Amino acid sequence: MRLYQRRFTAMACPCTVQVYHQDEVDAERALEAAIAEVRRIETRYSRYRDDSIVSQINRAAGTTRRVTVDPETAALLDYAATACAESDGRFDITSGVLRRVWNLRGGIVPSREAVAELLPLIGWQLVEWQVPEIRLPLSGMELDFGGFGKEYAVDRAAGILVEYGIAHGLVDLGGDVHVVGPHADGSPWRIGIREPRDRNRAIARIALLRGAIATSGDYERAFVHEGHSYSHLLDPRSGWPVADNPASVSVLAERCLLAGTASTVAMLHGEEAERWLQALGLPWLAVGHDGGLHGSGIEDGRLAP
Amino acid sequence: MKANNPPPAVPQRRTRRPSLQALTTAALALPGLAGAQDGLGLQTDYLFSHYREADLPGSRNVSGESSKRYQVSTHQFRAVQPFEQRSLGFDLLYETLSGASPWFVQPDADGEPVQVMSGPTIEESRVDAQLSGTSPLSDTLTATLSAGLSSEDDYRSVYGNAELEIRPGRGPLSFTASGGYARDRLEPTQGRTATSTLRDNKRTLRLNAGAAYVLNPRTLLQGNFGYQEHEGFLSDPYKAVFIVDQAGTDFDSRPEGRRGYHGLARVRHFVDWLQGALHADYRYYRDNWKIRSHNVELTWHQTLPARWRLSPGLRWYSQSQAFFYAPFFQSAPADGYLSSDYRLSPFGALSFRLDTTYNWNRWALRAGVEHYRASGSYAAGSVDVEAPSLVKYTVFSAGVAASF
Repeated sequence: MRLYQRRFTAMACPCTVQVYHQDEVDAERALEAAIAEVRRIETRYSRYRDDSIVSQINRAAGTTRRVTVDPETAALLDYAATACAESDGRFDITSGVLRRVWNLRGGIVPSREAVAELLPLIGWQLVEWQVPEIRLPLSGMELDFGGFGKEYAVDRAAGILVEYGIAHGLVDLGGDVHVVGPHADGSPWRIGIREPRDRNRAIARIALLRGAIATSGDYERAFVHEGHSYSHLLDPRSGWPVADNPASVSVLAERCLLAGTASTVAMLHGEEAERWLQALGLPWLAVGHDGGLHGSGIEDGRLAP
Repeated sequence: MKANNPPPAVPQRRTRRPSLQALTTAALALPGLAGAQDGLGLQTDYLFSHYREADLPGSRNVSGESSKRYQVSTHQFRAVQPFEQRSLGFDLLYETLSGASPWFVQPDADGEPVQVMSGPTIEESRVDAQLSGTSPLSDTLTATLSAGLSSEDDYRSVYGNAELEIRPGRGPLSFTASGGYARDRLEPTQGRTATSTLRDNKRTLRLNAGAAYVLNPRTLLQGNFGYQEHEGFLSDPYKAVFIVDQAGTDFDSRPEGRRGYHGLARVRHFVDWLQGALHADYRYYRDNWKIRSHNVELTWHQTLPARWRLSPGLRWYSQSQAFFYAPFFQSAPADGYLSSDYRLSPFGALSFRLDTTYNWNRWALRAGVEHYRASGSYAAGSVDVEAPSLVKYTVFSAGVAASF
């Protein structure tokens, strides 16, 4: 069996699909199909495309028009609803509007008033969602699938690989990884978790034979006020960044979607991140801004620098 | 980043205990991976093939009538069970053969060679079972050992093979080396035609060394060099050779040793815009029976929508004759070696094949057909006298593979 791989860019990050197969025709076909699936999801749930289902829903915000969605979108909306409930509102796909006033990378901190003006538009509990129809009741409300679209695409691409007969390989979309099966010789893939202060170095390597791992990272220092360091992650309930969170959280799960939601929600718990992860029960790893490593559920040998 | 507004405190309240179950259930409702995937299960493969030789035309048959030749039906079963980094494999073959076989060649009234077929039809069956195991020896070395037994009415073979694969690092170059040994025992069936022996043995040794080089992500080059050596009774005990001076036949009698070499070069290239791959092979063989042969094989593997694959292929083969071959002899050769077996004659052959595969999840279905025709006119060199029983055959095959 040989290794076949493709590197591509999707969802604004570097992506890789790697498979082992005896036959290069079958391998290429599987890679092709997996990448096509990633692009399909990217297109379908993109804010930037007029024809995407997300744009259709957002355009109808504030009108009486209800948008009917397909079963896949319905299941994603149900998932988003569950994640919102389980995270006490920290995971909320209506919070994308905060983008309008926050530009964390550009160093712009908005006024209290600007943020307060947006808060009435945020809140999954406001959304009228009754399968298969959805309506955003207030003009200016928006749905944003960016918080979990990538992890969903990782799982779907991995599913496509399995459908095409791949038993050894992985899908990696910008660090969110789903391992279909180990290397051809049976050895696990070693997924690196980056150092908070050096993107080119790994602070740990998780060995995976199969399953998914997702990492939520907040590496650049945002700003410090009154002893708290504020991150790039916005809490939908306040409209402001969460404080005192780890530099990154990585979670292992059967599905990348689950791992991604868990790592994001953990980060949004700020200094409660590790306690929340422990309560959730999935294997996890947290990296502090000082480089300190805490984790649980990752057995000896599965975690090695 | 400047802080001009202190952020408001978020009202603290007790964090609700998250329910992994609720999230998992919601995640599983999404289309995704079909059930629990393991990837390390049993792999099985079954192939049925039916081989049929075209009738010998009456013009080439001493009787003047066309004669049926061989038909072979083969069932092949393979199972491989991986164990972490090792694997164990089992191969079983069951084959039935029936038909008449070429016996000897004699000159007709014009001195042209015509075939004499063995009268009664043969019915035989063969079973071949092999066990093999693969295990890594180190980061770079993987070894495979196999042993097997093949048994039919008049022939039994016990064989073993060892192969080493060397992959230095994750570089583009890898090597293989292998050796195989077989001991055969022959007890020709009595009662049809006279046979040249009642019981005899043969030993075979094969050695191989090869290298594979990944030229670029779309192209693989392979080279292989092999040596084979046979010792013992190498003649065909059922065949005879006509000697004009004696107006009769002598038994097929071949040297007791045969040593040969082969060199193989192979290219596999994937063409992106066509979503297909070209496999091209060239093999050269020579041995101390003075046989030299060329084999060129081209196959195109085309991906088609909805998991189909079509693979048309073309093969050309050409060989020169063994030094002791002739359709018939004027007088017995001094060294005592003689054979009229068409497989040692000079000839060329063309073969077309078409295979198709359908893959779905852990299943694969395949079917194929091959048509082969040997002729003196296809040979690379000139062939003065073509063996009258050069063969034409068709093979149909169908199979299914499943992983668990």
